[in-house]
Amino acid sequence: MIDYLTLTVGLLAGTGLFLPLLQVFQTGRENLAGYVLALVLSAALVFIGLFTLHPTSVPWAGSLIKPDQMGGVFALVTVGVSLAVTVASFDYLKSASKPVYYSLLSFAALGMVLLSYSQDLLMLFVSWELMSLPTYVLAGFDKKTHSNEASVKYAIIGAMSSAVILYAISLAYGLTGSTQISAVVAGFTSHPSALAGVATLLFVAGFSFKMSIVPFHMWIPDAYEGAPTTISTLLAAATKKAGFIAAIRVLLVITTLYAVTGSPLFTMANVFAVLAVVTMTVGNISALTQKSMTRLLAYSSIAQAGYILIGFVAFANAPGSSAAILGLTGTVFHVINHAVMKGVAFLAAALVTLQLKRADLKAYDGLGKRMPITAFTLAVAFLGLAGVPPLSGFWSKLILVLSVANGPYGWLALAAILNSAFSLGYYAWIIKRMYMDPAESAERVKEPFWFVLIFAIMVGLIIGIGLFPQQVINLASNAVTSFAG
Amino acid sequence: MSYVLSLLIALPLAAAPFVYLAARVNRRLGIYFSLGLAVVVLLIAGYVFWEVYSQVPAMPPGTYVLQEKYSWISFASFSLNYFLGVDGLSSPLIFVSALLTVLVIVGSRKLIDHHEAEYYSLIFVFEGAIMGVFTSLDLILFYIFWEVVLIPMFFFIGVWGGPRRKYAAMKFIIFTFAGSTIMLLGFLYFYMGMPSPSFDIPTIDAMLQAHQIPVGLEYLPLLASFIGFAVKLPLVPFHTWLPDAHVEAPSPISVLLAGVLLKMGGYGFLRISIGLFPDASAQYAWVFLALGLFSMFYGAVAALLQSDLKKMIAFTSINHMGFVLFGAYATMISGSYLGIQGAIFQMFAHALAVGSLFMLSGYVQHQAGTREIPLLKGLGTTMPRTAAILVLASAAAMGLPPFASFLAEFMVIVAGISAYALTAVSILVPVITAGYFLWMIRRTVLSPAEPGNDAHDMGWSDVGAFAVYLVPLVILLIASYLILSPALPVAQFLRGLP
Repeated sequence: MIDYLTLTVGLLAGTGLFLPLLQVFQTGRENLAGYVLALVLSAALVFIGLFTLHPTSVPWAGSLIKPDQMGGVFALVTVGVSLAVTVASFDYLKSASKPVYYSLLSFAALGMVLLSYSQDLLMLFVSWELMSLPTYVLAGFDKKTHSNEASVKYAIIGAMSSAVILYAISLAYGLTGSTQISAVVAGFTSHPSALAGVATLLFVAGFSFKMSIVPFHMWIPDAYEGAPTTISTLLAAATKKAGFIAAIRVLLVITTLYAVTGSPLFTMANVFAVLAVVTMTVGNISALTQKSMTRLLAYSSIAQAGYILIGFVAFANAPGSSAAILGLTGTVFHVINHAVMKGVAFLAAALVTLQLKRADLKAYDGLGKRMPITAFTLAVAFLGLAGVPPLSGFWSKLILVLSVANGPYGWLALAAILNSAFSLGYYAWIIKRMYMDPAESAERVKEPFWFVLIFAIMVGLIIGIGLFPQQVINLASNAVTSFAG
Repeated sequence: MSYVLSLLIALPLAAAPFVYLAARVNRRLGIYFSLGLAVVVLLIAGYVFWEVYSQVPAMPPGTYVLQEKYSWISFASFSLNYFLGVDGLSSPLIFVSALLTVLVIVGSRKLIDHHEAEYYSLIFVFEGAIMGVFTSLDLILFYIFWEVVLIPMFFFIGVWGGPRRKYAAMKFIIFTFAGSTIMLLGFLYFYMGMPSPSFDIPTIDAMLQAHQIPVGLEYLPLLASFIGFAVKLPLVPFHTWLPDAHVEAPSPISVLLAGVLLKMGGYGFLRISIGLFPDASAQYAWVFLALGLFSMFYGAVAALLQSDLKKMIAFTSINHMGFVLFGAYATMISGSYLGIQGAIFQMFAHALAVGSLFMLSGYVQHQAGTREIPLLKGLGTTMPRTAAILVLASAAAMGLPPFASFLAEFMVIVAGISAYALTAVSILVPVITAGYFLWMIRRTVLSPAEPGNDAHDMGWSDVGAFAVYLVPLVILLIASYLILSPALPVAQFLRGLP
């Protein structure tokens, strides 16, 4: 019997190849390609869910793929976000070449699924590119100047990060004679050399571009602002998470930095800790001064990447300890929550841009009256992102902070807590604009069905996971067990 | 297992959407439905109060009644329970919160005139969360309810407030959220440092009594929780959000703010700061005592200088809540149980006395058009009923004998003197308080009316509502054992911890 992962891969690849044909045979039903992709992604979601519950070996993949639950969680998150983006695009997308758009989306989703399961550096790189290349095109899909600019900027930076990763892979292969991650790590550990240290840092830099870690973040606000907002959703909520799974697979198992340098200051945990604190602080402070919603969300997304890194710190600091398990569980859990919260926040922003034809913050004045469902969705997502209980974001941040609360990285916990409080400055400020400031016009604005459906599901997830987090925590916890043993 | 406490929390929260719908259908329907619901919650709270009064004094100190406990989250080394229970510290606060909610709904009929459906449903979100704060015996559960309280309050101030309402709402939420996240970090630090980690307050207390928790672990969490509670209480210099919030908030919300929200700070100091970090608390008790004393004086002197009636009452709150901290730590130093008993009593008395004053300031503004004390002239002749209530409520806030506030402040001061004789200087605080209240009454009630003033007096039904604030204070002076006898085991337990 064919396994579910193969089925998913075949389905997504086939859809990606088949959809552009619809462009040729224009049927008059312009959203047909979108409906097809939505169905396919729904099926993929179910298949990956089943596969995560009952992992089987994947014969064709050999040692390229590790069908564990860690991969399953990330595949679920990225495909789920892709599905939400697809559904939102039904109304959002105004283009003559819709089938091409959906086809590219399908390939990006395929890349993210493969990346989630990769345990070989070559497989990882190929799926990394499969994920990235379609998004370069999608970012410029509006064919407007700022969209094209975003696309070009994103493509150049993306190509650079790919080059950095590829260079690191070549170093790793040269040093250890293998591209298998476990073999590379074993080689690095048994023969620590300066070049191994360089390769490690190159991996950190390469993945950090996608993870939006400061100082590798400068393309993020421009790309998110210029790209169609649905594609910004994909970048912030899905491809960014793919960066995290790559980092988990590669960086968390490399422990050679200390062996190479011999300095107790220069450890992976310290590298992650410095990146985390700089990322969350720069993200939050910059978010506070933004005038456009997509840029604000972009910086908030950068700040959230800083929180996610806390789990890396706890894990790298004392692998195998209970704090390490807590920390990585927090990371995986926050990845899930952040994808939902940031995804729905971006989609709400997309709807506002679509209906009000503007993206600056002034558009949000009095939105509670004009678009009550959108405003409520944004309010819930923002409170969740700020970590206000009892929403889902609270629990993952709680676990992350708990993992470093008492120990050498207590200062990081304090920084995260203060950042959270600080971030409420702009989240609550938008809520204030939506519910307390007067609107420019009082007329109700239409909120299309598909958007409302996504909002309802995602808000349901934010509140539902907030009240009953046990099941999702189990999912994250099992993923960590499958990864770290 | 009893479900009363869950009901107390869940009923208002679950009913909030229905209140919204009812008020959308028909304004009067919404208000009567809210009132009925609030009365039902009050009855449940009364039952809880009575259970505590009849059971707790006979039980060993540190026992909680009506307990409920379920596992909520558990994985790896992390476990969290949904754990509720009440004792002589929480039951008066639960009762007075439910009582004030009823009175606030009564008072809001005339004072709130827009977005009423949202307003009344948020009142119940607030009430449910407050009940959660006072009944939680798990630190994280406590923190969750603690934060949920902020959300309705943010909207109350920001949507229904005065001209600078948005500024006040933002200042309120950032101050209190920052304070409480630091408090949370203290809890997490404490949890990770324990030999066998737990968030359950009774479990931690048992470990404390068995000396299983190193004393060195207590200092940072004490500092962190101090910041969280000092912002809420509020303690000078963490108080600057309070005058802004009170001046901008609509009067019924000021009642909730002063009567209920500030009590969270006092409750937190007793339950958490002293209850979980007793050794560190006892060691630094003199610092807290001094801070409380300073807050008392600062609040009193600042109140003296205000010309806005409502701002004056806001500073009175700072003054009165200083007594709570002062009393609590006086017990930790001297061993006299009067301090903690007085602090609990003071929280109850302050809620009603200052609640009535805030509501009154709303009426005065509504009827006379201003809250400026120099502009309010001749209330005694133009609005005799309002003036009479103002005099009585002021007497209650001053701590004049027919009202229970007298006994509460007296107990606290006695406990303070038995800790350090020098703190006898605190006797000046009620004197200053009486001074500014009497001066205010002389200017507003006893001054001659200006010609052409056609202010309307309040109706007899409103007088009845105010009686509900003030009569319990008189009853409680006589029947003070209702609060003091369940409060005694709390004082004994907390004093016995270090």
